[in-house]
Amino acid sequence: MGEVLVIGGGIAGIQAALDLADMGIQVHLVERLPSIGGRMAQLDKTFPTNDCSTCILSPKMNDCARHPNITLHTYAEVTGLEGEVGDFSATILKHPRYVDETKCTGCGECAQKCPARVPDTFDMGMRRRRAIYLYFSQAVPQVMTIDPDHCIYLRRSKCGACVLACQREAIDFEQKARTVCVNVGAVVVATGYDFFDPRGLAQFGYERCPNVITALEYERLVSASGPTEGHLLRISDGRPAKRIGFIQCVGSRDVRHQRFCSAVCCMHSSKQAVLAAEHDAGVESYVFYTDFRASGKGFREYVARAEREYGVHYVRSRVARITEDGNHNPSIHYEDAETSRPARMTVDLAVLATSLIPRPTTAALAQVLGIEMDPYGFVRTEPFSPVDTTRPGIFAAGCCRGPADIPESVMQASAAAARAARFVGRGNR
Amino acid sequence: MSEGPRIGVFICHCGSNIAGHVDVEAVEAYARTLPGVVFVQRNLYTCSDAGLSEIKRAIAEEGLERVVVAACTPRTHEPLFQEACREAGLNPYLFEFVNIRDQCSWVHMQEPEAATEKAKDLVRMGVVKARLLEPLEEQEVEVEPAALVVGGGMIGMTAALNLAERGFAVRLVERGPRLGGLLLRLDKLYPTHEDARALVAKRVAEVEAHDRIEVFTSSVVSEIKGFVGNYEVKITSNRQPATGNQHSLRVGAIIVATGARVFKPEGLYGYDGQRVITQFELEERFRTGGFDAERVVMIQCVGARIPERPYCSRICCTTAIKNALQIRERQPHAQVYILYRDTETQGTRYEAYYTRAREAGIQFIRYSLRHPPEVTDERVVVYDELLGARLGIPYDLVVLSTPLVACEDARELAQMLKVPVDEHGFFLEAHVKLRPLDFATDGIYVAGTARWPAHLEETITQAYGAAARAATILSKDRITSSGVVARVDEALCRGCSRCVEVCEFGAPSLIETAPGMKVARVNPVMCKGCGACAAACPTGAMTAMHFTDEQVTAMVRAALGH
Amino acid sequence: MGEFRPRIVVFACNWCSYAGADLAGVSRMQYPPTTRVIRVMCSGRVTPGFILESFRQGADGVLVTGCHPGDCHYISGNEKALATVERTKRLLHLLGLETDRLRLEWISAAEGARFARVMTQFTEQVRALGPSPLTEHATRSTQYATRDTPHHR
Repeated sequence: MGEVLVIGGGIAGIQAALDLADMGIQVHLVERLPSIGGRMAQLDKTFPTNDCSTCILSPKMNDCARHPNITLHTYAEVTGLEGEVGDFSATILKHPRYVDETKCTGCGECAQKCPARVPDTFDMGMRRRRAIYLYFSQAVPQVMTIDPDHCIYLRRSKCGACVLACQREAIDFEQKARTVCVNVGAVVVATGYDFFDPRGLAQFGYERCPNVITALEYERLVSASGPTEGHLLRISDGRPAKRIGFIQCVGSRDVRHQRFCSAVCCMHSSKQAVLAAEHDAGVESYVFYTDFRASGKGFREYVARAEREYGVHYVRSRVARITEDGNHNPSIHYEDAETSRPARMTVDLAVLATSLIPRPTTAALAQVLGIEMDPYGFVRTEPFSPVDTTRPGIFAAGCCRGPADIPESVMQASAAAARAARFVGRGNR
Repeated sequence: MSEGPRIGVFICHCGSNIAGHVDVEAVEAYARTLPGVVFVQRNLYTCSDAGLSEIKRAIAEEGLERVVVAACTPRTHEPLFQEACREAGLNPYLFEFVNIRDQCSWVHMQEPEAATEKAKDLVRMGVVKARLLEPLEEQEVEVEPAALVVGGGMIGMTAALNLAERGFAVRLVERGPRLGGLLLRLDKLYPTHEDARALVAKRVAEVEAHDRIEVFTSSVVSEIKGFVGNYEVKITSNRQPATGNQHSLRVGAIIVATGARVFKPEGLYGYDGQRVITQFELEERFRTGGFDAERVVMIQCVGARIPERPYCSRICCTTAIKNALQIRERQPHAQVYILYRDTETQGTRYEAYYTRAREAGIQFIRYSLRHPPEVTDERVVVYDELLGARLGIPYDLVVLSTPLVACEDARELAQMLKVPVDEHGFFLEAHVKLRPLDFATDGIYVAGTARWPAHLEETITQAYGAAARAATILSKDRITSSGVVARVDEALCRGCSRCVEVCEFGAPSLIETAPGMKVARVNPVMCKGCGACAAACPTGAMTAMHFTDEQVTAMVRAALGH
Repeated sequence: MGEFRPRIVVFACNWCSYAGADLAGVSRMQYPPTTRVIRVMCSGRVTPGFILESFRQGADGVLVTGCHPGDCHYISGNEKALATVERTKRLLHLLGLETDRLRLEWISAAEGARFARVMTQFTEQVRALGPSPLTEHATRSTQYATRDTPHHR
């Protein structure tokens, strides 16, 4: 009974798991994808200190993998929860990787031989991986996974190049999905968020214009481990981007889409503009915003520095639409709030700060867990019991309960750990 | 044959990852020629169960005193091999890792000969270091399963209760005469409009009823000594006339929740406490029934986001909205204007709250510092940035939204705790993102507005979060240090305190061994093993264990030798 | 004349630069086999002595690598490394060595490509400088095979 189930292996789930484990509590950390790390692993640098996301995340991921009190269940989902606070029984469905986790060393020899090319979801489809793949270089666990939708052997019973390549005989096409039941006293939900699909707002031209990209695509583009090795290049022609427009509130604060504010975009766009200047001091960046929100610790100072030292331009405006010229240069049409006049700016690259939205899978998970959602589809919490869900013994942290930046998510994770620990372990000593 | 420890070298093929580009047989043959090496073995995968068994077998049967594995990277595999050594009875610090895959075979795939030569060099470097390795001990200290919480407001109380409920003793120190803090002076809480004092009263009752929480009101912390798991704290009464009452306590962890205070806008916008007041004073009027106005103008960012105080105080927009809505509730026909610079209403709840205010008819007018509002006797004159026009708004009452600023005594407490504050006087955490509630010094945590202005929802989150962080220490019976720490040779130390100055973690300190004779001592539990003190020590008294001067320079020589 | 292959000692911090070197490997990025990495927990551990000893033993170049400013696992170790390298450059100048033989680079755990690039560039830079003038005078008395006791203090 002294165990806790943590659902979601992003930074919030990782922090909650580590805090609980360090309190001497056994933790089951369940992650849907082949590796823990979550969204933070995809980011290049993080505001307001511009430190490298991987550098600060990777040690925590390794701590999770090594911690004697943490059991990792990657490539797995929670499909059932019975019982009540202090005595839950949870069902975890583990998807087949078709690779024996105990044998694979993640060396990648198999991937070099695999003939199937697949868009790399970690790199937002901007690069291709093989059907057998490591989710990303620093993946934890360092174990390959076979994508059943693209593996030639699994689809047509032919190929098997990976089997020949693997000297550890780790490939196992016979692997089946299996379920594990765990008994836990409390549950922490940390399933994160998704991004609003900008195709839902045709005026921003995401589908039409190759050089209109999303903020997360931009992160992969400037990341040293991304598809361009960190070179800030246009998608259409591989030329360096010299003038960049960052469009705020794409889908957010919009009665037809998300009424809420996504909380992180003003800052991440500022950071992205700073990164552009760090890559190439000649880059001109323009941030198109409605209200500029920067009240976190050190945020205003960061924005002041972006403006002063990196020459980032902030344009209070309402962007109406984005078109493109014959050279695929996005043209941003906006109303300048200072002059109340329509204006237009042509850029090399337009970056859309799309809203942070609930994961589509959260609704189903909420049903499994028997917890309520808020009107927006996030996990419902109350302001003065901020990490408690509507069901006793189930807690929530990070962006599954609404948009939050990394420090807020980490603090919520520790808070959820404190609340969960209350119902297990050595309470009332 | 040179004297010295018996060294075993294990060379991993990593399938073909290493063996495909490096002539592992040549490396093996070379390793056999190295002084001290008594055993060499190649493995298809040294990290496999078979490989680990071979290491353990060789330690036992070959009498190995040092183990070198040439394989992938210590960052992922060192713990595994160290554990194998430990299981075979060898001190795990007598293990050395040589990276011939990630930093050799994989990066010189087209140059097998050069890769092989480099692998030999790397093995040689590992072997010379292994010769010099020393067995290291991990120090253990017992943990006092009690916490000190400094600050008896909502946040300190919430943290204290969570820890007490988990079974830990808590000492809660409040400088004022009663528990409750700043919330006692507020009217309602946003966004629910619950009564602030009712919420506080409930928490105070819970704290006072809890037999594991000891409350010290009208008291301050006057001295803190010790380190994680073992802090010695003195608490002194500040009651007047002075009673001289003092308590000495032992605690394992400390949470700082001393809060913040509201900036008083002396000399700004005609502030007089009568017709021009602060939000704080407005709430006092609500509470005491002293509010009576039909036309109210609120001005945001008074004393904030200006050169001498550049930060945004995060809570003022939502506070203004709350009080504007309160005014409308009291006087449905009241006109309320909020003159703002940016609406800071992030996320789901606060954006909805902003929408609610606009729907209730609160007027929002954006101003900028180019044209700051002017408060005259009858009206507030403001340049509306969105309309592009000057407006004169008649008023009965002007309410100034002023920021939270750090408490005056924060610096003093910070000095006692040896933790930093930022340029605004707020406590500075160890890492903005990944350790937002920790200080660099282990066992001390921060929550609430002492850290930064934040919504009550967020500070309550921090209270629980800091409790969790403290519980990670308090839940352990003992804390174990790493063996990789700094060590002082007291015969060489002349007590210059360079090590104390460079250490970010407070691990070394000077102690007086004889009158006028000072030497440095390192607390291994506080030391992180970075080696900065060893680099800074002018006499060579300080040694970074596992990365000693001898070990590193021996590697340098081996790297460049033939 | 055969191509001069410089010998370069690289000090890499455990948390950022060593991880960046590993990432270069995982990504199979190729760079010249001229470098020998010595792992330290923090770039702040590196002393002028380590650097000078490298040159005395015949290194043609020394590279100190650490976390980017603000990223140091130990808060400020990289700032200390910066001071050390600057101080040591002045010593090299006094000794008549080109200061370009010593370089400090911030390389993060995500910068595998950058690690490879820095190794390549620094190799070229040192190659252009030619063999270290100390190499000819360096006594080979410390050659590994003849060395018995490694305690040199």
